[in-house]
Amino acid sequence: MTSFERELLGLLPRLRRFARALARDAADADDLCQIALERALKARDRFEPGTRLDSWVYRIMRNCWIDEVRANKRRGETFAPEEAGVAVGDDGDRHVEARVELASVERAMASLPDEQREAIALVLVEGLAYREAAEILDVPMGTLTSRLVRGRQALMAQLGEG
Amino acid sequence: MAIGNEDAALRVAAYVDDELDAIARARFEREMAADPALRSEVDAQRALRDRIVGHFAPVADEPVPDRLRALLTGGGEAEVIDLNAARARREQRRRLPSWGNFGAIAATLAVGIIAGQMVDLSGSPVASRDGQLVAHGGLERALDVQLASAQPQDAQVRIGVTFRDTGGALCRSFDSADLAGIACRAGDDWRLRQTFAVESAGGATQYRQAGSGDAAVMQAAQTMMAGAPLDAEAERRARDAGWR
Repeated sequence: MTSFERELLGLLPRLRRFARALARDAADADDLCQIALERALKARDRFEPGTRLDSWVYRIMRNCWIDEVRANKRRGETFAPEEAGVAVGDDGDRHVEARVELASVERAMASLPDEQREAIALVLVEGLAYREAAEILDVPMGTLTSRLVRGRQALMAQLGEG
Repeated sequence: MAIGNEDAALRVAAYVDDELDAIARARFEREMAADPALRSEVDAQRALRDRIVGHFAPVADEPVPDRLRALLTGGGEAEVIDLNAARARREQRRRLPSWGNFGAIAATLAVGIIAGQMVDLSGSPVASRDGQLVAHGGLERALDVQLASAQPQDAQVRIGVTFRDTGGALCRSFDSADLAGIACRAGDDWRLRQTFAVESAGGATQYRQAGSGDAAVMQAAQTMMAGAPLDAEAERRARDAGWR
């Protein structure tokens, strides 16, 4: 195993978390992780040593996710927020309270437009600085911050904070 | 939402996300002190952030599924590492080589590695498979069957703790007359993840006294471990399940 793979291995927990914030459920998230890792390994020659591997892989994962989202849209699949609640509600192993929390946060995230969801995932979930997130998404800072604000407002409206 | 103005909302977000420089931050805090509505908006945004962070944070502590690990560790590598070691290394900014964390211990194995084939090092507790060091012979058998809670008095290999690493693999620490370390399950093999040469005072079969080597193994195990070590019952169940 090279240092490249070792570092990716070290990033895996964070990559899984990012994937979970993007994808609709845990299984999709790990599939997304797998696709992104495979793409990263294939593209390893394009990684510039000395730059941040985490940003590079976040960007790859985000692109994989966008590809997936577009493919789903072409197939005519849409994501109704109610589906998430029902799917989660079927998980009998969890306490009702946890289920409600799971349903509400994930449903709220899932209801966001993609460009808001990825901004929230990078900044809130992954804790990246605005500048880092803007670079990963390849958008100007102003675009990022405006997506963040709108994403926050939508989450706030759904989750009933404030 | 109390604040309709996008500029104001941006400033609140930037404050909550710690994106303001020191001067802007101080100015914002002065405004907030004089404006209860602004203060409550900040509190609400902070609560939202905490809730989102808290919801997804546990994902990073879950064991990483084998299929994802295998993409990075599977096949043909000459080195094995675990997540905690990688994390520790990042934190230490490569101050020390990975096995050098236990400086006083003579580390590493004096065996050759030949990639792509199984090499029997004539009675060695260690073999190489596809460039990975794996337990062999008596060591492999001990790792396979021996329970820490029921070890023969004259056991050549003693099992210490059994635990799951942060990647979800079962690992066991072991100690013998000439080698101590930690091996983790990978397929049907026990891959050696940490090894410490043992300076044995007596003959080859003389069991050495507990010493600094044990401390180093335990320290390494604690670094790799996700959660607590398996208790005797869980260890037995793990063995009966083939260490999966």
